[in-house]
Amino acid sequence: MINIQNVSKVFNAGRPNEFTALLSISLEIHLQEATILKGPSGSGKTTLLSLIGCMARPTSGRIFVNEKEITSLPERFLTRIRRETFGFIFQRFNLLRGFSALENVMAPAYPTGEKYSLLKRRALDLLAMLDLDHKQGAKSEWLSGGEAQRVAIARALIHDPAIIIADEPTAHLDAKLSAEFLSIMEILKKEGKTLIIASHDPLIYDSTLTGRIVEIHGGELAHGGTIA
Amino acid sequence: MSKTIERQLHLVDFTIGSVLRRKGKNAALLLVYTLVIFALASVLFFTRALRTQAASVLKNAPEIIVQRTLTGRYQFIPVRYADSIKNIRGIIAIKPRLWGYYYDGGFGANYTLIASGVDSLKPGTIAIGSAIVKLRKLQIGDIVPFTGSDGNPQTFTIAKILSDESALVSADLVVITEADYRALSGIPAGYATDLVLTVRNPREYSTIAEKISRLLPDTRPIVKTEILRTYDAVFSWRAGIMLLVLAGAVLAFFIFSFDKATGLSAEERKEIGVLKAIGWETSDVLAMKFWEGIALSLTAFFLGTILGYAHVFLGGGLFFAPILKGWSTLYPSFVLTPHINFGDIIALFFLSVVPYTVSTITPAWRVATIDPDSVMR
Repeated sequence: MINIQNVSKVFNAGRPNEFTALLSISLEIHLQEATILKGPSGSGKTTLLSLIGCMARPTSGRIFVNEKEITSLPERFLTRIRRETFGFIFQRFNLLRGFSALENVMAPAYPTGEKYSLLKRRALDLLAMLDLDHKQGAKSEWLSGGEAQRVAIARALIHDPAIIIADEPTAHLDAKLSAEFLSIMEILKKEGKTLIIASHDPLIYDSTLTGRIVEIHGGELAHGGTIA
Repeated sequence: MSKTIERQLHLVDFTIGSVLRRKGKNAALLLVYTLVIFALASVLFFTRALRTQAASVLKNAPEIIVQRTLTGRYQFIPVRYADSIKNIRGIIAIKPRLWGYYYDGGFGANYTLIASGVDSLKPGTIAIGSAIVKLRKLQIGDIVPFTGSDGNPQTFTIAKILSDESALVSADLVVITEADYRALSGIPAGYATDLVLTVRNPREYSTIAEKISRLLPDTRPIVKTEILRTYDAVFSWRAGIMLLVLAGAVLAFFIFSFDKATGLSAEERKEIGVLKAIGWETSDVLAMKFWEGIALSLTAFFLGTILGYAHVFLGGGLFFAPILKGWSTLYPSFVLTPHINFGDIIALFFLSVVPYTVSTITPAWRVATIDPDSVMR
C-alpha cells in the first residue's frame, strides 16, 4: 500500500515565481494494481509521480510505502528505496546517449556491485523478453521511438521492482506502439507488479489494464477530497 | 571479487564509456593538458638536473679561492702571496692555479684552458673536453693549433679526451701543461690566475676569508658557499624566466579548469539527474566523476612527464636549452645526466592531477545533491 497523506508541493517557495504544483493530496494506492493518474498537462501528475517515486520531497505532508514513511528519510536511504522498490519509465525515455541499449539497461545496477556476467545475463534476458535482443549493441540514439521505450522498460525492470512508475508513456508513440506498450504492462501486471501511470491518453485510461483512475486538476484531486 | 571492487570496476567501465562518447572534446583537453604538464615537467627536470650536476661537480671545488684585484679589476696574483697566508690557522694547503678562456674564432666557441691537473700530460700535448671533440670532430692524436698571446700559432697534440661524467664543467675544457700555458698566455713565472685553499672546517671559511683580506688588502677571497649560492641563483633565475613564460599556459589551463568547475552543460546535468533517478546515489555520481577526472588528468600527467623526460634527457632540452644552459655556444650539444627528484614529481602531481580532479567533482557534487526531479525538469 502507498499511503499519501495531505501532500503539497510548492516550487520556488518565497520567490516571485512561486508555484503550487500539488495541494493537500491524500490518496491510497493499492499494490498489484494499475492506477492511472489522469489529468491535463500541468495538472500535477508528474510531480505526484516524482514524490511517490522518491525523486523529490513534498513541501508538506507524508508518504508511506508499505507502512514505512519515506518523506523524512535521508537522501541515501531514499535512493536505496528508489532503486529497490521503483522502476521508472520516463516521458522522453531519458536513455543515456552514446551508450548501447544493453549498457542503458545495466546502468541502474552498476552501483550495486553485482557480478558483471550475472548482471549482463539479466539485462540480456530482459531485452529478449521485450524482443530487443538483436538491438543490444545499438546506441540509444539509433533506436526508434518504440525500441527506445522498450529499452526504458527493460531498464526499469533491471532491479525487479515491485512498483513501475510511468510518466505519459504513450505521449511519443503512435497507436500501434501504444498498444504494444499496454500489452507489456498487462504482462507485468499479471506478474504482480504495481503500475502507477500518469497519462491523459484515452488509450491508457480506457484500456483493460486500468484498475483505478485518479483525476487531478490544478494540483488537486478532481473530486476535491481524499481517495482511498 | 568483493562488491566494493566490482562496483568501482562498473563505475570505471561506465566512465570510460562516458569519456569516449566525447572523443573530440576530451582528446583536445588531453592534448592541452599534456602540453602544460610537458612544459612544467621539462623545466623541473632541466633545472633540477642542472643544479644536481653542478652541485656534484662543485662539491670538489676549492673551499676558498683568492684572487687579486686592482681598482676592483682582476689581476694576476703573485705566487709568493701564498707564503703570507699559509700560516693562518685552518688552512691545510694552498695551490696556485693557472687558467683562462680562449676564443676560437673559426668555430665561434669559447674554451676554458687550465694548466696541469692531468699528470700524464707531456709538453706539447693537451686533454680536451667532449664538447670540443664533437664540435671540431677531433680524436686522440690530432694536432690542434692555438693562437698565443704574441699572435703566433702554437700546436698541441690531443693526448686524452675528458670523460662525459662531469660534462657540465669539462665540456669546453682544455688541459695543458703549466709551461705550455705560460708560453701560450704570456703569464710570467711567479704569477698565477688565482690561489686555491683547502680548508677542513666549513665553519672557518668566513673567518679565514676575513684574515686574508686583512693580510692582503688587494685580494678578494671567494668561499665555496658563495660559489654554490651564485650557481643556484643563476639556475633559479633562468628557471624563473621559463616559469614566467609558462605562466601564460598554466593560467589558460586554470581558466579552463575554473570554467569546468563553475558549471556543467545542460546535457551533463540531465544525465546526472537520470542516473540519480534510476538509482545512483550521490556518492556513485561523485565516484564516477572522480574516475573521469583521474582518467584524464593521470593520463595527461604520465604522458606529459614521460615526454618531458624524453625532451630533457634524450632530446637535450631542445626547446629550453638556449635559455637555461647559458651563453656558451658549446653548451647546446651538452647532454644532461638523467636525474629525477621524487619531490618534484609529487609537486607536479599535486599541481596538475589534484586541481583538475577537484574541478571535475565539484560541479557534479552541486548537481548530484539536488533532487533528481529538479534536474530533469
